[in-house]
Amino acid sequence: MNLADYLPIAIMLLLVIVFAGASIGLGNLLGPRRPTPEKLAPYECGIVPELEPSQRFPVKFYLVAMLFVIFDIEIIFLFAWAVRFRELGWFGLAAVGIFTALVIETLGYVWKRGALDWNIPRRARYRLSHDVADEEAA
Amino acid sequence: MAPDIDYLALAPEITLAVTAVVVLLLDLFLPRRQKYWTAIVAVLGVSFAALPLIALAVSDVGDRAMLGGSFVVDDFALVLKGLFVIAGYLVLLMSVGYVESDRYYQGEYYFLLLMSILGSMVLASSRDLITLFIAVELVSQPMYLLAGWRKGDLRSNEASLKYFLLGVLASALLLYGMSFVYGLTGELTFAGIAAEGAGKAGEPAFIMAILFIIAGFGFKVSAVPFHFWAPDTYEGAPTPVAAYLSVSSKAAGFVALLVVLYSAFPDASGVWGPAVWILAALSMTLANLTALRQTNIVRLLAYSSVAQAGFMLVPFAAAATTDAVGLGEAFAATVTYIVIYAFMNLGAFAVVIAGARKTGTGDIEGWGGLGSYAPALGALAAVFFFSLAGIPPLAGWIAKLVMFGAAMGAGSPWMIALAVIAAINAVIALVYYARVVKTIWMDPVPATAPEEEVRTASVAGSLGLAIGLSAAVVVVAGFFPSLVTFFSDATKVLAGG
Repeated sequence: MNLADYLPIAIMLLLVIVFAGASIGLGNLLGPRRPTPEKLAPYECGIVPELEPSQRFPVKFYLVAMLFVIFDIEIIFLFAWAVRFRELGWFGLAAVGIFTALVIETLGYVWKRGALDWNIPRRARYRLSHDVADEEAA
Repeated sequence: MAPDIDYLALAPEITLAVTAVVVLLLDLFLPRRQKYWTAIVAVLGVSFAALPLIALAVSDVGDRAMLGGSFVVDDFALVLKGLFVIAGYLVLLMSVGYVESDRYYQGEYYFLLLMSILGSMVLASSRDLITLFIAVELVSQPMYLLAGWRKGDLRSNEASLKYFLLGVLASALLLYGMSFVYGLTGELTFAGIAAEGAGKAGEPAFIMAILFIIAGFGFKVSAVPFHFWAPDTYEGAPTPVAAYLSVSSKAAGFVALLVVLYSAFPDASGVWGPAVWILAALSMTLANLTALRQTNIVRLLAYSSVAQAGFMLVPFAAAATTDAVGLGEAFAATVTYIVIYAFMNLGAFAVVIAGARKTGTGDIEGWGGLGSYAPALGALAAVFFFSLAGIPPLAGWIAKLVMFGAAMGAGSPWMIALAVIAAINAVIALVYYARVVKTIWMDPVPATAPEEEVRTASVAGSLGLAIGLSAAVVVVAGFFPSLVTFFSDATKVLAGG
C-alpha cells in the first residue's frame, strides 16, 4: 500500500476542518449579538413552537422511511446495470427483472397488509395487521 | 456477456428462494381458513431443495467453483447443506402445530424460516469474506424477528430485543475484524488471505483481527463469555424457533468458524488455537455449572447447548498443536459433533414441545410422572437426554468419543488438560440430564398437572414425525457411527487433510 495515494484525502480533510472551523469561529467573532426571547426559541419553520420536540409519533412514518430506503437502494443497483446495459445484454435484463420483481413483491406485501393506508379506522387496521381469526374461531 | 454460472450448483438455493417468495404471496391471497397451505408449500420446498443436493453429490464433476472462487460447492459444502436442509425440515415439522395454535402471521413465519435456511445454505458454500458476511446476516436477521414472533408476550419481546442487540454487536465486531484482514492482506477470498497472510501471523494487527472474528462468531455459536443472550432468547422465543437457534443457527456459526479459521488462517493456528482453548474450557465449565441450577426445561436446554458448543470447540484448540493429518482429524471431529448434536438437540426440543403441551408447564417439577401417562414420550425424552449426556450406545457417545480422540491425538499437555476438563464436564452434565429423566419416570404426578384428557391427548402428527426421525438417527448412528463419519470424513477436503 502506498501512503502517497492518501495525500488528496489528507488535503481534503485539512480543507474541511479549516473551512468549517473558520466559518463557525469568524461568525462568532465578527457577528453582532443582540438576543431576544424569540431569537433564542427553537426554530420551527417560522411558527411559534407549541410542543416539546421529543414525542411519540405513529409507527407508519417508520414504515414509509423504510420503504424509501429500500427503493433508494434499488436505484443504486439499477444505476450499475444501466451504465453497462448493452454489454450485459439479455442476461443483465433478466437479472435486473428478477431483482425488480422481488422489490415490487415487497411493495405488494406492504400494500396488502394495509401499511400504506393512512386513514383507516383503528379496529379495521387491527384486524388487517393481526389477521386474527378470533371471531371465526368462535 | 453473461457470467459463467453453474445452475445445478445453485439449484438448492434457487429452490429455497422461490419457495420463500411463493409462500409470502400465498399468505397474502389465501383466505384465513386455508393458511395451512403456506406450511405445506414450505415443507415441500425444503424437500425439493434436497434433490439437487443429491444430484450434485453423485455427479463426477468434482468441486464446482463460481464467481471467482467466492462460491464453491465441494464435499464440505454439500454435507453441511444436507444437514441444514434436514434440520430445517425437522424444525418446519415441529412448527406446523405450534404456529397454527397461535393463529397469526403464519405466512411470515415460514417465509422468515425459509430465508434463514437459505442463508445457511449460502454460508456453507461461501469462500470469501463478503459472501460469508451476507450469508451470516441472512441466517440471523430473520431470527431476530422470529424470536419476537409472539408479539403479545413480553418475554418474547425481551428475547427478540436481547438477541437483536447482541447479534448486531457481534456483526459489528466481525466486520471490524474483517476490515483489518482486508487492510493487511488486500484479499477477500480465503485462498488469497491464506496466501498473503502466510508470514503475518505474528503481527499485532493480524492477531487482533483474528480475535475480533472469533469474538463475532463466538456470539453466533453462543460460547462463554458471549452466551448471555441465549437462555433469555430461547425461553422467550417460540420453542421451534429456539430449536432452530440452538441447532441450525449455531451450526451456521460453526461452519463459518471452520471455514474462516481452517481455510483463511491455516498458518495462524498458533493464534486462534489458544483463544479457542479458553472459549472451550469456559463454555463447558460455566454453562454446565449454571445448568445444574435451572428449573425451567428450555433454560436448561439453553445452557446445555452452550456447554455442547464448548465440546465442539475442543478440536479447534487441538488443531493448533498438530500436523496436517491431525488438522483434518480435528476438522472432521467438529463436523461429526455438529451433525450428531443437531439430531439429538432437535429431538430434545421436539420432546419439550410435546411435553409442554401435555403438562401445561415448562417447569421441570411439573413434568413429574410424565412417563406414567405418556410412556412413549418419556422413553424418547430419555433417549435424547442420555444421548446429549453421551451415554453409549446412543449417538452422542460417538460425538464425544471423536472429540476426545482429536484432543488426545494432538498429545500436547495443554490438550490433555482440556480433555480432562471436558471429561469432568461430561460427568457434571450427566447429573442434570439424568435429573430430567428421573423427574419424568420416578417422581409422582404433581397436583398442578392438567386433567386426564390433556395429559393423554395424542401428539400432533408432524411433531411426532419430527421426534421419530430424530430418534431414529440418534439410535441408529449410535450403533453404526460410520453413517455419520462417512460424511464428516468427506469434509476434510477443506482442511487439506
